[in-house]
Amino acid sequence: MKKLAIGLLILVVFQWLGEWGISVTGLNIPGQLLGMILLLIVLSLNKALLPWLETTSSQLIRFIALLFVPITTGAFFLGPEIFEQLPQILAVLIISTLLAQWFMALLINRLRRSGDK
Amino acid sequence: MSEILAQQWQIISSTSWPLLLTLAGFAIAWWTYNRSGRASLLHPLMIATPLIYFTMQIIDLDFAAYYSGNGILNWLLGPATVALAVPLSQQLRQLPAMFKPLIVALLLGGLFATLSALLLVKLFGLSDIVLLSLAAKSVTSPIALSVVEQIGGLTSLLAVATMITGLAGIVVAKSIFHLTQLEDERWQGLILGVTAHAIGTAKAFESSPRCGAFATLGMGINGILTAIALPLSIGLFII
Repeated sequence: MKKLAIGLLILVVFQWLGEWGISVTGLNIPGQLLGMILLLIVLSLNKALLPWLETTSSQLIRFIALLFVPITTGAFFLGPEIFEQLPQILAVLIISTLLAQWFMALLINRLRRSGDK
Repeated sequence: MSEILAQQWQIISSTSWPLLLTLAGFAIAWWTYNRSGRASLLHPLMIATPLIYFTMQIIDLDFAAYYSGNGILNWLLGPATVALAVPLSQQLRQLPAMFKPLIVALLLGGLFATLSALLLVKLFGLSDIVLLSLAAKSVTSPIALSVVEQIGGLTSLLAVATMITGLAGIVVAKSIFHLTQLEDERWQGLILGVTAHAIGTAKAFESSPRCGAFATLGMGINGILTAIALPLSIGLFII
């Protein structure tokens, strides 16, 4: 429990650092993403924080679907203008995902073949 | 700095009873999902959200009140985004010898996933707000959410789009790998991570830890790159 709390505190501090960094530099990325990149840099340089973060991060990621319940429920309230476009939206999502996987598979096959030579 | 703290405290302190509605809906969904042997189409979000929606209709609760009542969950999305650094750093540490093809596949694959979606949106003549909302659909949800918030899309639409993308990704991936004769599970993992984010990564871990590790790399690096590139380039698509 103590580890969970300390891990959360570290994550929050990095999130604040990210938000603060954005407000100071005016960078055009989300603050929490900058926080994640900062933590990534710190963890690559030094493993000391890692044992404190492992429990919290794995639990947060395991139950991440729970955090998305409120915002996803909002989809039922999007209104007729969006609902009318729903069939095309579905098509866009499915086709582009299929194409992207197919493209990546062919690309990887090609990269591996040229790597073998 | 104090402004940021005050804003976050406001989100947390608005938490109230609608949180119970979310927890109950999620508990039912989680139980059903596990009972079904984790069937893709019974993903917890697919079950929990309609359940909650219908309950809201019955008890006459509007979305704004429901959403702010779940303040603590919405607030946790921030730390959850930062938490993605942990598995990513563990995978980067043992970054393989195939670094160069990996980066090329990641860069071009991530670009293709986003670009193809944006072009299809244009092709189907969908509105600009849909375009802004779908732009980050291949990116892992916590990152995608903050990006779409920033570029001015509808976060609820993005949340659903991300879920559908992930589910579509794990449903079609098997046939794609078979069709292209891509048998190496490391590369399969990378593709799942880049195109189907966290849902794809979870699927990859079911194949093997190695497959999952590559999915984690693909999801994490694609998330960072897309989040940096999108706000800078999305203007090109809004004419």
